[in-house]
Amino acid sequence: MSISARPTMPDKSGSLAKPADGRFGRYVRARFADRLFKYYFLFSILALCFVLGLVIFFIGKTALLTFAHISLADFFLSFDWTPENESFGAAGIIVNTLSLTALTLAMAVPVAVGMAVLIAEIAPKWLRNMMRPVLDLLVGIPSIVYGYLGLTVLIPVLRRMSGENLGDGLLAAALVLALMVLPTICRISDEAISMVPKKYREAAYALGSTRLQVTMRVVIPAAGRGIVAAVIMGMTRAIGETMAVVMVIGNTAQLATTLFTPASVLTSNIVMQISNVEFDTTWNYALHMMALLLLAISFLLILLIRYLGRKGSDQT
Amino acid sequence: MKWFKKMSLLAAASLVAVSTLVGSASAASGLSGKITINGSTALLPLTLQAAKEFQKLNPKVRIAASGKGSVTGPQAVKKGIADIGACDWDASMDVPGFKAFDGQVANKVAVIPFATIVNKNVKVNNLTTEQLKGIYSGKITNWKEVGGDNADIVVITRAFGSGTRVNYQAKALGGGDIVKKDKNYKEVGSSGDMKTAVATTPNAIGYIDLVYVNSDVKAVSFNGVAPTTDNVINGTYKIWAYGYYMTKGQPTGATKAFIEYVQSPKFQQGSLKKLKFIPISAMR
Amino acid sequence: MTPTAQSRKMQGSLAYNKLATAAFYGLGALVLLLIVWLLLTILGKGLPGLTLDFLTKVPEDIDPGGGIGPVLFNSFYILFLSLVVSIPIGVGAGIYMAEYAPENKLTEVLRICVESLSSVPSIVFGMLGLAIFAEYFQIGLTILGGAVSLAFLNLPMLARVTEEAVRAVPHDVKNASYALGMTRFQCIRTVVLPIALQGIITGICLVAGRAFGESAVILLTAGLSTSGEMWDFNLFAPGETLAVHLWYVQSEAIVEDAASIAQRSAAVLVVVVLLINLLFRIPLWINNRKLKR
Repeated sequence: MSISARPTMPDKSGSLAKPADGRFGRYVRARFADRLFKYYFLFSILALCFVLGLVIFFIGKTALLTFAHISLADFFLSFDWTPENESFGAAGIIVNTLSLTALTLAMAVPVAVGMAVLIAEIAPKWLRNMMRPVLDLLVGIPSIVYGYLGLTVLIPVLRRMSGENLGDGLLAAALVLALMVLPTICRISDEAISMVPKKYREAAYALGSTRLQVTMRVVIPAAGRGIVAAVIMGMTRAIGETMAVVMVIGNTAQLATTLFTPASVLTSNIVMQISNVEFDTTWNYALHMMALLLLAISFLLILLIRYLGRKGSDQT
Repeated sequence: MKWFKKMSLLAAASLVAVSTLVGSASAASGLSGKITINGSTALLPLTLQAAKEFQKLNPKVRIAASGKGSVTGPQAVKKGIADIGACDWDASMDVPGFKAFDGQVANKVAVIPFATIVNKNVKVNNLTTEQLKGIYSGKITNWKEVGGDNADIVVITRAFGSGTRVNYQAKALGGGDIVKKDKNYKEVGSSGDMKTAVATTPNAIGYIDLVYVNSDVKAVSFNGVAPTTDNVINGTYKIWAYGYYMTKGQPTGATKAFIEYVQSPKFQQGSLKKLKFIPISAMR
Repeated sequence: MTPTAQSRKMQGSLAYNKLATAAFYGLGALVLLLIVWLLLTILGKGLPGLTLDFLTKVPEDIDPGGGIGPVLFNSFYILFLSLVVSIPIGVGAGIYMAEYAPENKLTEVLRICVESLSSVPSIVFGMLGLAIFAEYFQIGLTILGGAVSLAFLNLPMLARVTEEAVRAVPHDVKNASYALGMTRFQCIRTVVLPIALQGIITGICLVAGRAFGESAVILLTAGLSTSGEMWDFNLFAPGETLAVHLWYVQSEAIVEDAASIAQRSAAVLVVVVLLINLLFRIPLWINNRKLKR
């Protein structure tokens, strides 16, 4: 262990040059490593931002060309997306994206957080040790397998229950997505709940609280930050998911007025059409604009969830 | 943390090993080079098979193939990121929805027949051009209007610009439109999805490369002619198209050799036939 | 409040507590049932036909009986390379956010950047990778391009999970180490990381599992073909992975046993993800045992 470095005052007056004293040399090395790794960590986060910048630059430079051909109002306010006839109204698709995300989270968050509480607080150790890897397993199932099962198992069931001819739509997509983001939200919340210091719980129990009270009033608020992060990670995955959604949503560019209207969302629309358009067309630019928009939407949603999370934790 | 260190050490070591391997890979005589193929997914099975056989004969040639959509082929060639662009139509000429790619040469490699397919619960066995036009333009919405049961028609189609759709629209619908409807209408992203969707959705109609048709779905006749390879060759079944390899100018070097291999009687009469495509020579 | 009222309230709380516990267990049972059904559907169809032959043979396009050897190898190879690229940067970024970043608006913006990055659809990373490697560097569809593009996809998740895990390390432990005169980095290396390791490894598991099943990125950057032989370590060879192969057999393959290959590939994917989870946890268990002693 390197704890033996003594807490001497930092000496910056050229003493780097003489590594005579072994203990002192170690101190210099430690200072050097400290400095080095601080810059390395800083570099890492900047590299991450660089990747984001790269994405924005790469999509943005194509996306902005959209508005050389059509007006902002046409893109954001029109509900008519028929690119083959030069109508590029994305409003319906944007609304669908928001409703799909909301529907997914409404289904996934309560279940996922409930599961996290069960795993972290209630379940005996053997159950805990079994459930965690099982949940992780769900993350690894490729999205096309989810999509395929959605198409062949879920949709026939929905069709029978609803009496619709097709069964594709927001509900099918939301169910598939909810299952896909469940483990992400659950595992990160679980991690956050487990990290709540034991003394909080002990204090609450000592005051005579039941487990439910401890969980709801102490543990979850204390883990709030981590749970909010979990919800955000789940949401961003739901928003960016493509391969599974494409198979069950119906891919028809129209506003989803019912849960069973074949519809399309930003990702499914991009993935269905990007491979079939020419590079130098307004259509291609508009699809890039949709990708950029997707980033903007998730940015705003993240801000919103953070705001709600902060408000929630202020109250307790 | 030791584990962390070991991982990074291992990584560094393998990177060094890899780079030396790369260094020794070049040199030696014979046909060599790198061919990148992109484009139509419908031609992928053919391309992959041909690439495998070609690489066996010419071990120095490295072929990388991928597929995304027909128009990606000529586009990738234009941008210089692919040597061959597989495309379901002749991209050196204008087709509805897509302009010609100047300076590209279309090399015919196969004949691809297409079929109209329906879910197995549909009683209809034959559809005419006019009936299909009516169904896809949204004027005919019930199977009883074309001689079937009283049930809504569920239209399943490929995305605009898909090679299969371009050819089907041109040959089966006589250039007619496929109109989006608010209900009972769905777009799918690939041939496999098309087959699965039609097979699992009652009262569904769709279209697909004949190769994929099996007992899960029912292929219906077009204007009274059954969709079979023989009917395509004898000229009675009209829904078919050539598959093309687009190149920038006349192909050269390894690319030329590869295309020649695909067009050679050995491949056309052998593997290509086994893949249930039709040899180009059969249509002459 | 009278004593009786208080005890009635107590009893109410106790009843609620029992009810809630039952509800949580019920929820857990339902979700577990769903997962078990899902796994049984995938594994039940795929596992019976799984043979060593299938795992090692080269894929076929005409004759039935093709295997997944090279694509399975490529999957591991690309996953490994992408983790090599993304773990140091992702974990580093997470540590910076948790330990070094000052509490200000800029940090908040950085954090939202990281989260926004995780919502970028995988196909966009694919397009980015294509633009960088195929167009800018002109190296075509390669394992290298696929691995780096996949690493982009891994980064935000790794950073976020690391940050949470590092932040959860109790302050008193850190303070104790500072009191011993440690530099910040010494404290991170010897105190913070070992404690946060469990969380970080959970993150790596999630990321590795997702990366292993990712198809859109690889399809665009590493292509759909293999070099046709096993054990090709060449970074510049085309690198179809198992997930891409699954997509291919499910959507375009003509070979008659395509459906069976798809089922078996899906089963292999799930089993491998399970193995990855176990593999990454082993060092953790050993560590835990050491700590207990």
